[in-house]
Amino acid sequence: MTSIRIKNLTRTFDTVRAVDDISLDIKHGELFTLLGPSGCGKTTLLRMIAGFADVESGSISFDARRIDGLPAHRRDIGMVFQNYAIFPNHTVAGNVAYGLKARNVPAAEIKSRVDKALERVRLAGYGPRSPHQLSGGQLQRVAIARALVIEPAVLLFDEPLSNLDAQLRTEMRIEIRQLQQALGLTAIYVTHDQEEALAISDRIAVLRQGKVEQVDTPERIYRTPQTAFVAEFLGSTNMVPGIAGAFDGRNTHVAAAGTEFAVRGEIAPPGAPVLLSLRPEALRLGDGSDGPRIQAHLTLREFLGPMQRLHATLPDGTQIRISALGAQAFDVLPGASLALAYDPAQIKAFPSP
Amino acid sequence: MKRFATIVTLAALVLLAVFLLYPLALVLDASIRIDGTGGLTLGNYAAIVKSRYYLGSIGNSLLAAALATVFACAIGIPLAFCLARIDVPGRALLLTLASLPLVLPSFVSAYALVLLFGHAGVVTTALRGIGIPIGSIYGLPGIVIVFTLTLYPYVVMPVLAGFQAVDASMEEAARNLGGSRPYVIRTVLLPIVMPAILAGGLLVFIEALENFGVPAVLAEDRPFLAIDIFKLFAGESDANPAAAGALSVLLIACTALTLLVQRHYLGKRRFSTSARSAPAKLPLTPGLRLAATTVSWGIVIVSLLPFAAVLMVSVLRFRGPVLTWELGLSNYATLLSGSYRPLLNTLTLASIAAVATMLIGAPIGYVVARHRSRLSGLLDFIGMVPFAVSGTILAIGLIIAFNSGPLVLTGGWLILVIAYVVRKLPFAIRSSSAIVHQLDPSLEEASINLGVSPTTTFATLTVPLMASGLVGGLVLVWITAASELSATIVLYASGWVTTTVVMYHAIEGTGAGLAAAAAAVLILVTAIPLLLINRRLNRQQTTVI
Repeated sequence: MTSIRIKNLTRTFDTVRAVDDISLDIKHGELFTLLGPSGCGKTTLLRMIAGFADVESGSISFDARRIDGLPAHRRDIGMVFQNYAIFPNHTVAGNVAYGLKARNVPAAEIKSRVDKALERVRLAGYGPRSPHQLSGGQLQRVAIARALVIEPAVLLFDEPLSNLDAQLRTEMRIEIRQLQQALGLTAIYVTHDQEEALAISDRIAVLRQGKVEQVDTPERIYRTPQTAFVAEFLGSTNMVPGIAGAFDGRNTHVAAAGTEFAVRGEIAPPGAPVLLSLRPEALRLGDGSDGPRIQAHLTLREFLGPMQRLHATLPDGTQIRISALGAQAFDVLPGASLALAYDPAQIKAFPSP
Repeated sequence: MKRFATIVTLAALVLLAVFLLYPLALVLDASIRIDGTGGLTLGNYAAIVKSRYYLGSIGNSLLAAALATVFACAIGIPLAFCLARIDVPGRALLLTLASLPLVLPSFVSAYALVLLFGHAGVVTTALRGIGIPIGSIYGLPGIVIVFTLTLYPYVVMPVLAGFQAVDASMEEAARNLGGSRPYVIRTVLLPIVMPAILAGGLLVFIEALENFGVPAVLAEDRPFLAIDIFKLFAGESDANPAAAGALSVLLIACTALTLLVQRHYLGKRRFSTSARSAPAKLPLTPGLRLAATTVSWGIVIVSLLPFAAVLMVSVLRFRGPVLTWELGLSNYATLLSGSYRPLLNTLTLASIAAVATMLIGAPIGYVVARHRSRLSGLLDFIGMVPFAVSGTILAIGLIIAFNSGPLVLTGGWLILVIAYVVRKLPFAIRSSSAIVHQLDPSLEEASINLGVSPTTTFATLTVPLMASGLVGGLVLVWITAASELSATIVLYASGWVTTTVVMYHAIEGTGAGLAAAAAAVLILVTAIPLLLINRRLNRQQTTVI
């Protein structure tokens, strides 16, 4: 059980600030995800914690112990690499035993711990095999066993699932989550896949250009994004620019896309430009409930099985996407007029950049 | 790890400065001194420009190299195409055989030409006997033929890789858009492999320009740059180190310029990683396929025939300079009767040089590939300089540098080893950095992450992973060191005569049988280790070129 404290961490490559004054507190036993587009600094931050990238300024501590001065091989961190990094010249068991040998664990104990670790990742009996006989998913499990077996203070995952196919990816992320919870390990997980991040994390830090945009639980990150970037990065939202109008004591009226939206709260002074985030699932096909509505024209319908995605045009021609359950609205044809109901509390407004 | 990288880089730079740059600087210095008094002058260059003989020498060398380049491309490109795209029977064997001329000593091939078509050659005599006179192969024609037949693999290897790197869909797209097959070859395939052709061709040009052995055997009294430099420096009667220096500087200028152009084109080889599926073999009519097979096998067999001829002649008896058709091992008896020493020297020197080259080259290759810095960039650049410096010139520089002063090396074995190591170092660096490039850096990071220190990780993980590749490099360095002539002939001392030196003197004199036996020994010494590990080597040569 280890908590991690990152304070004012900075790293510059040439003129680019890859990690720009980042501070984070990660609780013990937490699965903490660094989420962001490529180049946001998430991998650099992870490599700084692992000791593979130099810390320019700031500090990293495990509990009360500063570790940023330690060489990488003395940090007691387990790391799972993007491309597994399984040693091709060792057997599966040899790979898992590698870190134990480096720690001078007695041979008899190595064997039992390796067996147990392989069992944990459902690879019992694979020990004598050569890595090239294993599939991608199995190699990933070996990599996890190898990182777990040394009972590290902290576990790091560097986009561990990006080389697997879609189905294996969803299976493995559940396994990773269950293992991490069962062992009670503090883990930092790097990914650019927002769905993966939402699915497995206790908390998520969304990174952009070396800075933290927001740190929160998956639910809060999704429902109450603090910035337009977070709203847009998580769950392909519709971003519609508008001009704030009068506040009626409950909602602010915003003129946008040739129509008017009601947004809960006083979001901006009248006349201020704003960006509205309309989640595809926040817009409902007219269901008879009262509340504000907007008019739109259906242009295309994608049937995706359990749900369908409707592409519609707002009065000024702005394209938006709407998610509806698969069973809904089968009789609507492209060109038809749609009445979209929404809850003003579910629309987020951000100051226009 | 950073400290390791810095130490390796600095040590390598010091080594190259002492044994490569300093000797070369002395050659340059000699070229601008007045012979005897030591005053500064450009007179040596002026003398060359005014001398019809030396201009002829430069002209001959450039012309031979240019013609060899053209001919090597003319046979290398079709061969590469056939190997890549036509279902030639015995393709794997053909590929192995096609790479052999690169490592077999080219002056042995030249000597075979003399044995067959020379003044007293087997074929010449036979044809003369039935009344058909044939022209002389001495001078330009013979030299160009030998260069072409021994250097064409430099074109084949990169161009073959180029043809194979063109993704199948590229050609299919061009065909789909309505291009006929010849049109697609002309407008899609050739432009894509053009950088590979230029890179390979320019390498042929450099090698031909620097080569000492082939003109030494075939030039007779015609002027050639590599020969004149040697004679001006080491000649008994007309030694003129200043003129040798000036010619050396001109030769280095030519090769260095060509090398820079070659590297520039290699830098453009972006296509090499883009292929996902190799293009399919061309459907050919049986007639065309037979023609392609004949041409491909023909080229390779003709290029290897000289070596076969030497092996054959070596077991025939000579009566004086005249060849008889009696079988016998008398040539070998003559070769070994004097002493086993030359053969032993060859094996010893090549072994020491090969091990030393790889021990020095592998860490450099690692650092160059893994730790990019301004310093390692400089090292990468200087590490390529030996490519542009012929063995003779390096040897001359080493003699000037270490004949006197604090470090005297002339007359011993060490100076030979140093020359071999410096000359083969670019190869060792290139091949080991190519191996390192194929190793995922996260393997080392995983090891460090699991608690093994960087130094131990390098020794226990990286080196074993590189080992199989390094063995291939070791063998190639061994082979080329064993058949090295151009530096050896300048540097050898009485106790350290090698097989190549024995052969050179036997050709110069009248020991035709002795030369054939020495040449055969060289072929065996180089071919046997090569065939033992040829699969590994095919891969390496492609990556190194």
